[in-house]
Amino acid sequence: MRVLGQTSPLVDWDWIGRNLDQIADRTWQHLSLTAVSVGIGLVISVALAIVALRWRWSYTPITWVTGLLYTIPSLALFALLVPVVGLNATNAVIALTSYTLLIIIRNLVAGIDGVPEAVLEAADGMGYTRRARFWKMEVPLALPVIIAGLRIATVTTVGLVTVTAVLGLGGYGYFILRGLNTFFWTQILVGVVLSVVLATILDIGFLFLQKALSPWARRA
Amino acid sequence: MRKPFRARAVGAILGLALVATACGSGDGADEGTPPEGDPIRVASFNFNESVIVAEIYAQGLEANGYPVERQLNLGNREVVKPALEEGEIDLIPEYTGTVAGFLGAEASADSDATWEAASAAWEDMGITLLAYSPAQDKNAYVVTGETAEEFSLTTVSDLQSVAGEMIFGGPPECPERPLCLQGLQDVYGLEFAEFVPLDVGGPITVAALEGGEIDVGLLFTTSGVIAANEWVSLEDDMGLNPAENIVPAIRTEVVEAYGDDLVALLDSYSEALTTEDLTAMNARADLDQEDPALIAEEWLTTNGFFE
Amino acid sequence: MTTWESVQEFLSEPTTWSGPDSIWARLGEHIWVSVAAVIIAGILVLPLAVWLGHIRHGSGIATALVNIGRAVPSFGILAIAFLVLVQMGAGVGEPWAVLVALVALAAPPMFTNTVAGIQAVQPATIESARGMGLTEREVLTGVELPLSAPLMMEGLRIAFVQVIATATLGALVAWGGLGRYIVDGFAQQDMGKLIVGAVLVGLLAIAAELGLSAMQRATTPRGMRPAR
Repeated sequence: MRVLGQTSPLVDWDWIGRNLDQIADRTWQHLSLTAVSVGIGLVISVALAIVALRWRWSYTPITWVTGLLYTIPSLALFALLVPVVGLNATNAVIALTSYTLLIIIRNLVAGIDGVPEAVLEAADGMGYTRRARFWKMEVPLALPVIIAGLRIATVTTVGLVTVTAVLGLGGYGYFILRGLNTFFWTQILVGVVLSVVLATILDIGFLFLQKALSPWARRA
Repeated sequence: MRKPFRARAVGAILGLALVATACGSGDGADEGTPPEGDPIRVASFNFNESVIVAEIYAQGLEANGYPVERQLNLGNREVVKPALEEGEIDLIPEYTGTVAGFLGAEASADSDATWEAASAAWEDMGITLLAYSPAQDKNAYVVTGETAEEFSLTTVSDLQSVAGEMIFGGPPECPERPLCLQGLQDVYGLEFAEFVPLDVGGPITVAALEGGEIDVGLLFTTSGVIAANEWVSLEDDMGLNPAENIVPAIRTEVVEAYGDDLVALLDSYSEALTTEDLTAMNARADLDQEDPALIAEEWLTTNGFFE
Repeated sequence: MTTWESVQEFLSEPTTWSGPDSIWARLGEHIWVSVAAVIIAGILVLPLAVWLGHIRHGSGIATALVNIGRAVPSFGILAIAFLVLVQMGAGVGEPWAVLVALVALAAPPMFTNTVAGIQAVQPATIESARGMGLTEREVLTGVELPLSAPLMMEGLRIAFVQVIATATLGALVAWGGLGRYIVDGFAQQDMGKLIVGAVLVGLLAIAAELGLSAMQRATTPRGMRPAR
């Protein structure tokens, strides 16, 4: 380290060894912040998507609002929520959830819309009620696209969770911030690498889910 | 059977989300030792010394059976003080002079008086200041050896003639702080050419001083970097900085819940902490990149609290 | 002081309108770094993306790249880049670390959309172009590029808007830009500064989104535009 006269090794394995339980804690924090935010985002998005599909004119304003939320930089949203909800996980979850809405809603609607006309007609021809057609035909066929949206939302959220370090949370982002505060390579690398690993595991997990839920694609 | 599988898969995702929501922060299930109650949430500011001292208190409490949760590196006082007052954290190591000023109370060079002023001001908000430590850490206004020589600088007053051409670097909250730019302006009449927001007396400020991006940097009287780089900490000749004894600020509710034993324990650590200790520990954290938790543990061992 | 009063106070300070911390200065810094990041990302990935699209390979790489890109946290890249640059002797307030992180953010969507765009051109169209005697280069510049313009522009748009939002993180490594208002506003508990910073970034992002959407429509070859 030119500045502080001492070279800090890139990876201090001792530090890692001593801090395994901290790493475990941060893993849990990162996972739960991600899961809760995407989970709540999904619930809200499903509600909004049903509205958008039923009353088509509402889709544009819904995308506007969720799109607007998406353009607020995460750092700003966390900071702005502090006087409102405080310096805690609720703050983080509210902000993280709002970033998932745009992509999930878009994929929910696109997924349902993407179901071929022919299939819908066939269902009608076979005597399905509208509700049965929706739940037994349209939703299953839309699932791959929906899962794709969840996949993107989840991976994006994993990245955004690191920024919650400025609220004292951060999951793996805590290591990145501390490493930055102290110019300590090991912490930064641990934070980044574990973030990427977590995001990749979740990404692959969703990919499998996507494939599993669309068996017709596999046989192609 | 395809349909049930798909339904189950979707159900699994939602279930996971629900479970994650239901599992809140783990309740410290610390059975077996006398002190039982809600976990004590120990926080620190976002610089090494604060993390180290918070670790000392946290580890000490844990070793004596208290349930502890850490929220270290939380941020600066502007952000953390409300968290303490709102009950989102329970304990944070504070500095008497600065916190007195923050609460609008009278701070002076007298440690006792400053502590009393700060205590009284915070009592109404449900925060208790325990006994203060002899260890002090004040703001330091630092220039490189070359700068000091070039402009013959030994005291802060010496900056009066050259501040207009100099760049001051410090934490983002510095311009509003009575012991930072605001105070330098009010007490010393210093108007710098520019202020550059960096970090809280950390490696970014150090790098900026080293690289010449700033002329004067805000560090701490206990920063080991100053001596290591042969920099000059300008003497506070007009006494801007009051006494800055380290003192645990703790929510009164927690004190009442756990009682005198908790207070006595924390006091024992505060009492044993000295300014030299701080300087030594900071040097290890800042220069040698050692782990604050480890440093705290060693301090506790050296001072006879741990075996 | 209410939030609105805080905003008014911030807007009434002289330093807000002139000097290194002024709105113009911060806006300027933010815009030029965002634009530079996208241009550099373009220079780095477009040639390869166009070529891969042309020879009809690389959709696998494209997808992988975008997934990896999304999995890597920008905050992390920023911290690493900053540390590397400072240790190599770069100055503390300089934008290079931010630029590196933003280029890494912009490259994947631009790469992927370009590859997809070129590959989306119907083989039949290319065959007929070749049949008409066009050289490979002419096929590329006269047929494939114009036809893939909409998707390429889409990639540019996505990249640019993300870059604008993420550039705010630069303030965490002592850089400026509009993120400076957000970080400093938060640290000083100056809600006015914080809100002005957030609003300006939002407006900038919206302006970029609308502007590039318009450009996307303008560069869509007439034959591909939705029928009226």
